[in-house]
Amino acid sequence: MSEPDTSMRELPSRARRPAFLPTCGVALLALTLLSCAAKEAPGLERVRREGVLRWGADAQGGEPYAMEDPDVPGRMRGFEVELAEALARELGVRAQFVQNDWSSLIPSLERGSFDVALNGIEITPARAGRVLFTRPYFVFNLRLLARKDDASVTQLESLKGRRVGTLANSQAWELLLRTGAQAVPYEGVEEPYIDLEQGRVEGVLMDDLIAQRYGQPRPGLRVVGDFGEGYYAIAVRPGEDDLRAALDEALVRIARSGELRAIFRRWGIDSAAQQRMVDWTDAQTREVLSDTSTAHLGWGQLVLFLQASLVTLLVSVGAMALAIPLGVGLALVRLYGPAWAGRLATTYVELFRGTPVLLQLYVLYYGLAGVLRLDALSAAVLGLGLNYAAYEAEVYRAGVLAVPRGQLEAALSLGMPMRLALRRVIMPQAFRVALPGVTNDFIALLKDSSLVSVISVVELTKRMTITAVDVRSWLLPGALCALLYLAMSYPLSRLARRLEARLERG
Amino acid sequence: MIEVKDLCKRYEGRTVLDGISAAFGPGEVVALVGPSGGGKSTLLRCLNGLEPFDGGTVRVGDDVLEPGDTRAQGERLWRIRRRVGFVFQQWHLFAHRTALGNVTEAPIHVKGLRREDAIEQGRALLAKVGLSHREAAYPSELSGGEQQRVAIARALAMEPEVLLLDEPTSALDPERVGELVDLLARLRGDGLTLVTVTHEMRFARELASRMLVLHGGRIIEEGPPSRVLASPQHARTRAFLGLDRVAGLPPLGS
Repeated sequence: MSEPDTSMRELPSRARRPAFLPTCGVALLALTLLSCAAKEAPGLERVRREGVLRWGADAQGGEPYAMEDPDVPGRMRGFEVELAEALARELGVRAQFVQNDWSSLIPSLERGSFDVALNGIEITPARAGRVLFTRPYFVFNLRLLARKDDASVTQLESLKGRRVGTLANSQAWELLLRTGAQAVPYEGVEEPYIDLEQGRVEGVLMDDLIAQRYGQPRPGLRVVGDFGEGYYAIAVRPGEDDLRAALDEALVRIARSGELRAIFRRWGIDSAAQQRMVDWTDAQTREVLSDTSTAHLGWGQLVLFLQASLVTLLVSVGAMALAIPLGVGLALVRLYGPAWAGRLATTYVELFRGTPVLLQLYVLYYGLAGVLRLDALSAAVLGLGLNYAAYEAEVYRAGVLAVPRGQLEAALSLGMPMRLALRRVIMPQAFRVALPGVTNDFIALLKDSSLVSVISVVELTKRMTITAVDVRSWLLPGALCALLYLAMSYPLSRLARRLEARLERG
Repeated sequence: MIEVKDLCKRYEGRTVLDGISAAFGPGEVVALVGPSGGGKSTLLRCLNGLEPFDGGTVRVGDDVLEPGDTRAQGERLWRIRRRVGFVFQQWHLFAHRTALGNVTEAPIHVKGLRREDAIEQGRALLAKVGLSHREAAYPSELSGGEQQRVAIARALAMEPEVLLLDEPTSALDPERVGELVDLLARLRGDGLTLVTVTHEMRFARELASRMLVLHGGRIIEEGPPSRVLASPQHARTRAFLGLDRVAGLPPLGS
């Protein structure tokens, strides 16, 4: 551990705060639940009985860890795949890969989705206080990359207050927060480097294995330096000490026989430093695991939650402000425009309604990054706005169709041009019909806005997951998150109902 | 004022208007009568471009409507519509506007009248149709007769030279017809040209200076109502008025 005082109490709010009393209760409840799960069967016995070692990893983490074989779809390859297979063999069972988002590997391990988490998981005090770790199997460095044309980045400290990309809840994430940089969370390893090239972040701090493969090959980027060493180890559920002991023994055998470094060599990640993994002693394991900490939900976290709610609100209101006029336009073109424009509008609606908004966000932010340089927040507003416009178009079209035809004729007979008739007579009445649908969509959008976390925007749900991992509990952060969503959506539906009541009279 | 020449319209292979020519002068009140499907309402709707036609012309002052898509005729069409008001059978009041709002909408947004002026004019018009006390009511809060009078006031607010009325008596209680006749007679006194489609012969006789009988898309007979009703020349007119079939009974609507 290069940062022995990596205390989660300091993170990520960077302020000491009194722990919430309820946290204790929730933590207790969580512990009770965990111990119940653990009682079901000691780990090793269960693994042996089932003949399978289920290991959780994220294929999106990519090379060289664990990824889908491009030649044989569905088959996994990577140095951790080989490691998992070697370990399983030592335990006399078969290895089975279980896909899981990297940032939630630990919570998924705790709830029993797999037996072990094995995916470049760094030993951090927060994690050490939460799960059992085996002895480490790989030593790495945190490597900082910056743009070649940006000479201002010379060390970690030069990024104080600036945007730096990394994986949420990783060792690099914690180091960045401690440095005072604005850590931007990503879900994958490719995206932060795309954003660095695009100028959306000013540095990327990641494990050197990732930097080597995904960052350094990019012509516009340069290595600033290595900042801090860390270890990958296998995470095991608390209470399953027998499984951990068996894995430790297996690791020793694999390391001593030379198999471990042979695997590293095959993947081009071996170095003299890895000999330490072979010579590693139990005393060293005890030492790196001795520093444990548990963060608590405090006022600082609350402030972060409120900030994230503001982002959620901003994204939702912005997207709706875009979706409504665009939707009205699409609806009117479909109803009254020339045939070719109507077909175009229909295609738009089908395209944006018929494909996942997540995909659209990816394409808009990463796919079109070369053509359209948007910052994450603008891309979030634009992406959701374009998507919801398709829904608004249908809501307004239904609204317009519900207005009796005579209303348009009456307006035209008074000498109103078509546009004026639509604006003054048809649309106000259509709006009345559409209002409940629009309200509905806005509330749906408020919740869908959580999807923009895939393009590195920290909104309310993302904040909740980051905090939940920090404080080892999903209950209280989850409840707080739900409360904040309700605090935003409920006044909105009340407002809409009052507006409906007012319009009802006419 | 309005002049129609050789007006033809086909609809789904059927001839609805078959070469209609007629002129409606200033201050004239003309009743269009005839059996259902005879083309009365279609003719009326053609007069202010609500319905496109296939042949002939409609001339209002210097502006001429031509066959084909009315929407493509832009400015000319809007000018005609501003000079020719229309009162629909079902009135079609703007459901989201009060009585006064209905009357002021077009003057403000089409004519560009100042809001205060439009409101002043609107109140005067509502007074003229006897609805001053209902200016803040929404259409859904008004009776049928009241809605019709608001619809007339709304059309008058554009200060048209011609007012077209489609079956104005059909949705009225019989006792209200008299009030409508009084109102329209006053408008005629103001020099307005009125063209009305009707089935009510008493209404036509009391109000109209001229009557056109339409059948099969043609004008088969025309003249003062007293003459047409008393001694129709055309067999079809007699049949329509029920004179041939059920002798001895008074004509329809009397």
